[in-house]
Amino acid sequence: MAQLSCIVVTPENVALETEADFVALPLFDGEIGIAPDHSPMIGRLGYGEMRIRNAGNESRFYVDGGFVQVANNVVSVLTGRALASKSVDPTAAQKSLDSALKKPIHTAELLAIRDREIQQARAQMRVASRSR
Amino acid sequence: MAKARALDKRRKSIRNIRKITRTMELIATARFKKAMDRASAATAYTKRITQLVADLANSGLTVSHPLLEARPETRRAALMVLTANRGLCGGYNSAVLRQALARLEELRAASLQNLRIEVSGKRGIAGFKFKKIEIDESYTRFDDQPKYEEIELIANRLLNSYITGELDRLDIAYTRFVSSSRQIAVVETLLPLSSLTSDEGKAAAEKKGESMYEFVPSAASILEEVVPTSFKVKLFKCFLDAAVSEQIARMVAMKSATENASEMIKQLSMTYNRARQSQITGEIMEIIGGVEALKG
Repeated sequence: MAQLSCIVVTPENVALETEADFVALPLFDGEIGIAPDHSPMIGRLGYGEMRIRNAGNESRFYVDGGFVQVANNVVSVLTGRALASKSVDPTAAQKSLDSALKKPIHTAELLAIRDREIQQARAQMRVASRSR
Repeated sequence: MAKARALDKRRKSIRNIRKITRTMELIATARFKKAMDRASAATAYTKRITQLVADLANSGLTVSHPLLEARPETRRAALMVLTANRGLCGGYNSAVLRQALARLEELRAASLQNLRIEVSGKRGIAGFKFKKIEIDESYTRFDDQPKYEEIELIANRLLNSYITGELDRLDIAYTRFVSSSRQIAVVETLLPLSSLTSDEGKAAAEKKGESMYEFVPSAASILEEVVPTSFKVKLFKCFLDAAVSEQIARMVAMKSATENASEMIKQLSMTYNRARQSQITGEIMEIIGGVEALKG
């Protein structure tokens, strides 16, 4: 069976380049699983955990929004940050959640900004608590 | 002996300076290589984003986003200036400052009441202080390896204030890295974004055709995310360019300083030898004079 190759790129560097049997990604509105021979697609990522399964081993990463592009069995993940799930700091996430919750929301734009920050912080806490 | 000794002393001190400048040149070279590696590692991301925008354009989507549209009137502008934390790098800092001040005048002439000035780098901060211009925000933590995480924070803050209407325009003064032998200080307008792709990406975006991609959740939603991301990446690239250019500028400055020192040592050696020679001649003349006097 064909194998996927998964490339994770951040603005700083190429964070990860690996073979994979299956990749699960947090999309903007839900999770997507990508197996070999997936049809070409471009998706908007949300905040959450990416799981890469390769020969029975599963590695988990926190991805911080961005995009995924699938074509010819290549999964390219473009994200601002890709951290191993273990190194996500739950206390820092809690702190940013607290500060986000205190923000004023008197316009629609401010509300959208706050919602995004809350989502991000909650996703970080979720990933951190699951990997412990 | 006095003159010759003084010359020798000067020559020694110049030798010491040459040692320092040569070391600084070597350090700058090493840092330049590191910064360059980082900058080239970052191009992988930019290329893919450009590709993504091209694919979006192929799907027949009209690219429109609040960040791309100029405001009917700009009332609140911000100017960001990227300089170095350290001097001894030739005209690097002054070139950026000159550009920044020129743009500042322009913005002031356009009668903007609210002008925010953000400066990164101690040299720039000192420069603005000297001109008695107040700075609203200053950063000194960006050295030769700026982190995306830190720049993303700044980018997010700027984006948020642009979206909420606290900011109508953002200019940035920095040194653009063209090639390793050419860097120019420029002022660019980052917000509103002029185009999504860099100049190299335009050619790729132009060819039209059916897109083979399925967009999840939708092309419009992806565009919504692409635009802020491309702004962040642009800002990050400005910081990276500035860091690389700084190291090159320092390298070149220190190289010419070392060469100057060598030249100076050469000349001083010549004068020193001449002074020594004439002193010896004088002494011999004295001895001969003394012998002649004893004979008589």
